[in-house]
Amino acid sequence: MRFVAALLAWLPRAFLMLAAIGLLNFALIRMAPGDPAAVLAGESGASDEQFIAAIHRDYGLDRPLREQVFTYLRRLAVLDLGMSYRTQRPVASVIFERVPATLLLTVPALLLAIIVGTSLGTLAATRAGTWKDTLITSMAMLFYATPVFWVGLLLILLFSVSLEVLPPFGMASFIKKTGMPGVLDVLQHLIMPVLSLALFYMAVYVRVARAATIEVLGRGFVRTAYAKGLSSRQTLRRHVLRNAVLPSVTLAGLQVGQLMGGAVIIESVFAWPGIGRLAFDALMQRDYNVILGVFFVSSAMVVVANLLTDIVLRLIDPRIGRN
Amino acid sequence: MQRPALGGLRSWRFAIGAGALLLIALAAVFAPVLAPFDPWEIVGGQLQAPGAKHVLGTDMLGRDVMSGIIYGARVSLVIGLISTACSVAIGVLIGSLAGYFGGFVDRVLMRFTEFFQVIPSFLFVVLLVAIMTPSMTSIVIGIALVIWPPVARLVRSEFMTLRQREFVEAARVAGLSHGRIMMAEIMPNALPPVIAVASLMVATSILTEASLSFLGLADPNMISWGYMIGAARTVFRQAWWLSVFPGLSLLVTVLAVTLLADVIGDRHNPTLRAMAGG
Amino acid sequence: MRRTLFTLFIVWSCTLSFASAQNVEPTRGGALQSLLWPEPPGIMSGQFLQSPALLVSTKLFEPLLTYDFALNPKAHLAESWEIAPDGKRYTFKLRRNVKWHDGKPFTADDVVFTFGEYLIDVHPRIKLVFQRTKVSKIDDYTVEFRLDEPFGPLVRSFGIGTEIVPAHLYKGTDFRKNPNNAAPVGTGPFKFKEWKRGEYIHLVKNADYWRRGLPYLDEIYYRLVPDAATRAIAIESQQLHLATQNDLELLHVDRLSKLPYIAVTTKGWEWGSPIVWIEMNNRKAPFSDKRFRQAVMYAVDHTFIRDTVFQGYAKIATGPIHSGSPFYEPNVRRYAFDPAKAESLLDEMGLKRGANGVRTTIKLLGLPYGEMWNRAAEYTKQALKKVGVEVVLEPSDAAGWSDRTRNWDFEMTMYFLTTLSDPALGVSRTFMSDNQRKGVLFTNHSGYANPKVDELFIRAAATANEAERKKLYSEVQKIMVDEAAVAWLVELVWPTVYNKKLHNVVIDSSGPNGNFAETWLAK
Repeated sequence: MRFVAALLAWLPRAFLMLAAIGLLNFALIRMAPGDPAAVLAGESGASDEQFIAAIHRDYGLDRPLREQVFTYLRRLAVLDLGMSYRTQRPVASVIFERVPATLLLTVPALLLAIIVGTSLGTLAATRAGTWKDTLITSMAMLFYATPVFWVGLLLILLFSVSLEVLPPFGMASFIKKTGMPGVLDVLQHLIMPVLSLALFYMAVYVRVARAATIEVLGRGFVRTAYAKGLSSRQTLRRHVLRNAVLPSVTLAGLQVGQLMGGAVIIESVFAWPGIGRLAFDALMQRDYNVILGVFFVSSAMVVVANLLTDIVLRLIDPRIGRN
Repeated sequence: MQRPALGGLRSWRFAIGAGALLLIALAAVFAPVLAPFDPWEIVGGQLQAPGAKHVLGTDMLGRDVMSGIIYGARVSLVIGLISTACSVAIGVLIGSLAGYFGGFVDRVLMRFTEFFQVIPSFLFVVLLVAIMTPSMTSIVIGIALVIWPPVARLVRSEFMTLRQREFVEAARVAGLSHGRIMMAEIMPNALPPVIAVASLMVATSILTEASLSFLGLADPNMISWGYMIGAARTVFRQAWWLSVFPGLSLLVTVLAVTLLADVIGDRHNPTLRAMAGG
Repeated sequence: MRRTLFTLFIVWSCTLSFASAQNVEPTRGGALQSLLWPEPPGIMSGQFLQSPALLVSTKLFEPLLTYDFALNPKAHLAESWEIAPDGKRYTFKLRRNVKWHDGKPFTADDVVFTFGEYLIDVHPRIKLVFQRTKVSKIDDYTVEFRLDEPFGPLVRSFGIGTEIVPAHLYKGTDFRKNPNNAAPVGTGPFKFKEWKRGEYIHLVKNADYWRRGLPYLDEIYYRLVPDAATRAIAIESQQLHLATQNDLELLHVDRLSKLPYIAVTTKGWEWGSPIVWIEMNNRKAPFSDKRFRQAVMYAVDHTFIRDTVFQGYAKIATGPIHSGSPFYEPNVRRYAFDPAKAESLLDEMGLKRGANGVRTTIKLLGLPYGEMWNRAAEYTKQALKKVGVEVVLEPSDAAGWSDRTRNWDFEMTMYFLTTLSDPALGVSRTFMSDNQRKGVLFTNHSGYANPKVDELFIRAAATANEAERKKLYSEVQKIMVDEAAVAWLVELVWPTVYNKKLHNVVIDSSGPNGNFAETWLAK
């Protein structure tokens, strides 16, 4: 009951947060020099006053700024993301066409990072000081320090250019296959991007999990558990893992926002048709509504992710909610 | 479970990290002397593979890669350090105010911080830099405006804890102003953990700058390792050296910074210190 | 015996080579897989003028005339035409058996609508031509254009950019919001089938095309591939047959051209004739002084730019008019690579080298259209540094660049412009002093003003006498090049890269922007 009440209290706050984000981005994007009509003119090798005026009229850019802000917020309230200037299609369609590609990339990457990272981190902690620990922490440090885009390029050089076993770019062969071969085709294209994205975050989880586990292992109750005679493994599972995983879960919620950044880069390197690259291109084209739409959608995802991690945390450790 | 041999490990990491960083800093400072050529000057044929005359090859205009790498250290270090410094300043300001005063001030400032943590940070930096048009200054500002929240949270919790201590009570009773108390009494105790976080943030800033330059958002009058890699995208199959060497430089630099940051962090991690018997 | 065999062998091999020298019969059917990049915002003729948009819309829509490689007009939707001796009346007789993709007949109403209403409204460049004309219907298949003054370029203005659109679908509507823009209806050899955003645009054969037996191809797919390296791989692996203009990086073109199954042609852009130059803001010193501009021309090595920056896919530009134009004047002041001369000009101007070797610091706004352009800007910076001019490169993106250039907020700006098939259409707009329109791109941004040049341009446009025009344009080129109105760098060459299985890709000056009715794909 308290839980439901908390959820209801959370909703307006979340919505206000998203509206504030929308407003800020609206203001900022308008500060960028240049306008969408100018971009179109530049590409067309032709321009005149009527051309620009017509485009401004079509996109509502000739209205006073205050009116544009209100229109934007009003639309946002009913989740209408407006029209893309560039393609004259609803921003919602443009974005949601490409969200699956980004999810296909980021969700497996995050899961891979959490699962492998946390396991390796706890392993390293229990073997602290041995060569295994050193190996794991060194690898983690290496991957932490490597720029995400460089990893991607290196993987392409190795697996596509030298060994020629994996396709270098894109989500699928451009002459699309259907059915099972189609699925396999996508999976083949998925390997390197996911790996590139996951390696950095994996390193983060290794470090976090290791530090948390070491901390937990040093705590009094673990020694008590040992004293009580519980086997090492049982102790590990019951007490240590649960407490060590807590920071990882908290971190995961925070990282959804960062993953978008990683997505922008990986999608650029691998020509992956997701919303990260969409936002970047839209910014270059000054397709305001699309950029705003992507910000809105990703911020919403972060807010939801934070809520989910909150729930998971409470499930793992019921003491949290009670404080 | 074995006792970690922390003392030896720590000095090992410190040696490597500090050593590498020193070399890079020297490269940055003494670039005009160390670089074999002017990095902007066309000194060789197009796209030459690493060889005797050009140890790391030449790029698509015929400029020496090795010289570019040496000069590139400047951008990475300068941007890494300055944006972290600015960002720490912002974080400390916000966190200390929130942690010290609590209540309404704390709630408002924490909403503000949460706001910045919900926005997808990299996209936001891209947006900021694009608005301000890329330059050394705009990149520093852009990065600083985005990475401060963890510092703010840390400082806030430190202040919240410390404010309740007796010495602060004593200072209040003695009639010291809030400002005095915050700056003179609490801050010196709150800062050490911040240093650990800040040193890691240097690594993040360097990587962020590299990613921005890779995507093309760079100051075209400066040589940046990320920019070198981005510029070579279209030829990276046939001219692998244009992507590999700048990337290695980034790797080594960030690794060095991270090693040092870890050493600093360990110093302030009480559990680890306890286990090391210190 | 051996001699007989030998003779037989000779005869046999002669027969073989004779047989192969005969024209091969075109293969019917097949799907042309072409690259397209970047994805255009739309493909409706007249409204979307970006290069990829044109590549597609020209298969769906057709103009009255086409132009061969020498830019001589040829009949197309117009069967024949007549120009009155006073140059003020152009009469076109239209082809009769032409149908729109929706079955309705093509008539003079469509032509009158296109030139009299549609293009005047939507096309910023073409409208400047047809605002001078009054178009009227004489009968269902005859159209007349009347002018107050003769206008030389008019005869070359009926090609790309003036494709006819259906009056029955557009008249009286909001042209930009007309739903047919999403599925355009034209008279061309191909009909619009589908546009899967981010993946491809699909065209199919127009079975009722007015040229009997054509097109040979059954369908065309324009594949959208965002990554430059993948595009090159697609052509190399023969998955795709055709790439043009900016689809491939020039470094890749070079490599691909060496493959036995790939052909590269640089023809087919005569109607566009793009030239790259650096425009200097004449309203500011030192750019107002022609010696500075001349110094810039002497300081940059045009050969290096052509060979290294543009990978040899360019020609050194000597002046404002493209070397392929009938009006090109080769006898103009030559600017060989001569840094010493540049330095002496700068010294003469009073811009002496300071203590640090720098005479002055200026800014260059480069074109943000890709790595090749970044290198061009970087090279310029280097070249000018050598003669003591410090250049600060200004970063921008497409929106920022166009904003600053059209609002004259630059010191030097580098870009390329299609100078089109006639100097009165594509060249004069950059240099005439009355075409300084702040806020409008591709006008006179630099502020260059020479009354003699203005006069020559006006006179050359006002006559249809080719010989007279040639004389006038010669003179204007000599003056402008001497004054270094802008620093011309190179004429761009856009290679069309195609698989040798593909035939008749580039058959006239419209190149890959032709309608592909005669294009065929061998098995």
